[in-house]
Amino acid sequence: MDKMLRNKKSILVFMLPAFILFTLVLFIPIVQSVYYSFCEYKGMTAPVFIGLDNYKALISDKTFGIALKNSMFFLIFSCVSQLIIGLIYAAVLTNIKAGRNLFKNIIYLPCVLSSAALGLMWMFIFSPKLGINQLLEKMGDKEPPLWLMDTKGYITLPMWVIAFVALWQYVGQSMMLYMAQISGINKSLMEASYIDGCTKVKTFRYITLPLIKPMVATAMSLNAIGSLKFFDLIFNMTEGGPNHKTEVLATHLYQQGFKYFKYGYASAIGVVLLVLCLLVTLFINKVVKTEQYEM
Amino acid sequence: MKKRRILSTIMTAAMFATTLVGCGNSSGGSTGNSGGSAKKDGVQEITWMFWDDLNATEDAISLGFKETIERFNKDYEGKYHVKPITTNLEEYYNKLNALVSAGETPDVFIVSPGPQLTDYVEPGVAAPLDEYLNKDGWKDTFTSDAVFSQQTYDGKIYAVPLNTAAACCFYNTEMFEKAGAKVPTNWDEMIDTCETLKKAGYTPVTISAGTAWCLSMVAGYLCEAEGIELPKLADGSASWEDGKLENVCNKLVKFSEYFQRTAAGDTNDVATANFYNEEAAILIQGSWVIGQMNGANPDFESKCGVFQFPGVERVIAKSDSLCMSSTTKNPEAAAALIKYFTDDIAQKYTAEKGGKIPVTKVQYDASVAPKQLGYVMDVFSNAKGTFGFYNESMPTTETGAHFDDTMVAVFLGDMSPADAAKDMEDYYKANCRK
Repeated sequence: MDKMLRNKKSILVFMLPAFILFTLVLFIPIVQSVYYSFCEYKGMTAPVFIGLDNYKALISDKTFGIALKNSMFFLIFSCVSQLIIGLIYAAVLTNIKAGRNLFKNIIYLPCVLSSAALGLMWMFIFSPKLGINQLLEKMGDKEPPLWLMDTKGYITLPMWVIAFVALWQYVGQSMMLYMAQISGINKSLMEASYIDGCTKVKTFRYITLPLIKPMVATAMSLNAIGSLKFFDLIFNMTEGGPNHKTEVLATHLYQQGFKYFKYGYASAIGVVLLVLCLLVTLFINKVVKTEQYEM
Repeated sequence: MKKRRILSTIMTAAMFATTLVGCGNSSGGSTGNSGGSAKKDGVQEITWMFWDDLNATEDAISLGFKETIERFNKDYEGKYHVKPITTNLEEYYNKLNALVSAGETPDVFIVSPGPQLTDYVEPGVAAPLDEYLNKDGWKDTFTSDAVFSQQTYDGKIYAVPLNTAAACCFYNTEMFEKAGAKVPTNWDEMIDTCETLKKAGYTPVTISAGTAWCLSMVAGYLCEAEGIELPKLADGSASWEDGKLENVCNKLVKFSEYFQRTAAGDTNDVATANFYNEEAAILIQGSWVIGQMNGANPDFESKCGVFQFPGVERVIAKSDSLCMSSTTKNPEAAAALIKYFTDDIAQKYTAEKGGKIPVTKVQYDASVAPKQLGYVMDVFSNAKGTFGFYNESMPTTETGAHFDDTMVAVFLGDMSPADAAKDMEDYYKANCRK
């Protein structure tokens, strides 16, 4: 190890591409965005420094309030539902032999498909004149739900629909992470617990769960960041409507930046998003306390 | 060991090189800096951006634009070539703005007059066109100088109108006849007509609140009927809370009882399709919809009547306009292209097939034009004047969008009429009045 670390040239050469890439595509744009968030910037003229005005405007922006509420809903829904369902899938699939690969692929498949295409597909399925509602009407329901148009309630029906579609699409990712961790657990630990009289449920509760805790933290962090940045499904299914009821931070940012040329304001939303991602990741890592066990 | 080191150095260099290649700017792209930069075999390529897919559309006006492009490309073969950039209407301005910000403004692009055009004129994205309009008597071919009034800033013309459309009430004559409904002449009659249609089992009105400006167009007419004066609201000599907007909102809420069930989420295209597919009796829309309706369902033309929005003396009028990028490398080619859209062939097509009102003095055969155009012309001739779309007559694009959203919120029941008036007043105080 010491010998390797002495070779400073190699270290530099190997780190340089990643460092340049990180600087060009991540660090500089982030710094630029933070700067623009303090400016009135319309993209076509030079940015004018206006201090905290964009952030003050965020407070009185009703759509930003809706977007923040919806993003937080997505965050909580995704973290909880993907944790539970992902774990159930992982636990069940690691314990069955017949059809394991088939089910694993079926559940994981939506993850690798284009979200834009899936968004359009689900939009057609939930359209009042196609898909599910046609079936419901044939079954006698004269006024089937307006899945993507209903506007009643604190969290509207379209938000729940999109959240379930997102769960369907991304639960495979959580499942794969948990399965990878579960398959790394030494079988002798399980066997020992069975010899001691543990049921499968108890083994899962007292052996598997504590051992996959680090992965739970990782998967939850990924889910949380992914759901805060959520854009494509919403944009393709509702475009944030009706009347901004399904707007999330990313769609609001997009509308402000590209529809109204308010790049400074859009950057302020981006900075809020960045801070939220950091805070949530820190929170998850703090709450989900992990201990390293030898597996 | 040495070999391995050399190999690893080569690999790293290759990775680094591919990274730089990825970060590099592609040269020679057809949409490079303000389009027009590509030159293949001496042919200058210019880009033209439009809000409909020319290969998938059934809209007669869009198909006419496609023909114009093809005609231009044929006539200028070997010299200029137009490459269309198309998108759907909902995404149009987002994509255009993204291209502008990236320094890839299309050479020629379509835009609505009002604050949306202002967005491109003020930062210098659109070029003044007087030099070209004054050449070869091009400007004299237009019906009057008044057609440029919404496109003129500080005495300079920044866009060329292609056609004029009026917002009218289109109705299904067959449904009206079967229901025993009469064409309304005032607001009370409008409600009575809707009630009669509803009792006869028809959906009286199809409208889109998913595409907010459609609902806002109706609100605009109701504002006109109430005598709301936008310039006074902008300079602060009038208030949104004087009771007029509240009346408008109350009328809108009452009227919404006759909308189709899915109005909240239906897009403009879906709401229009509801009408020409005979699922609803009335559609309140701009006359550009004639080309869309007749293109999608030619049999419907004979059943489609038109009446003026009841209770108002003026009509909402609008023209699609073409702008030229101020950074185009081929201004002559871009101007020539815009001229093609206003020549006699294109303008005759506009009236005879597209069903829109031409902006030039072209003589067209009214007998072959869509029947609805004749009705729209009647509405125009009976009206005492025109006014712009409400959302496009406000100080900024965002203010117009706020008005649209407020009207949709009233329709959805999220906001009371009094709250809507207060909200608009607060918004104007904070953003529009100095």
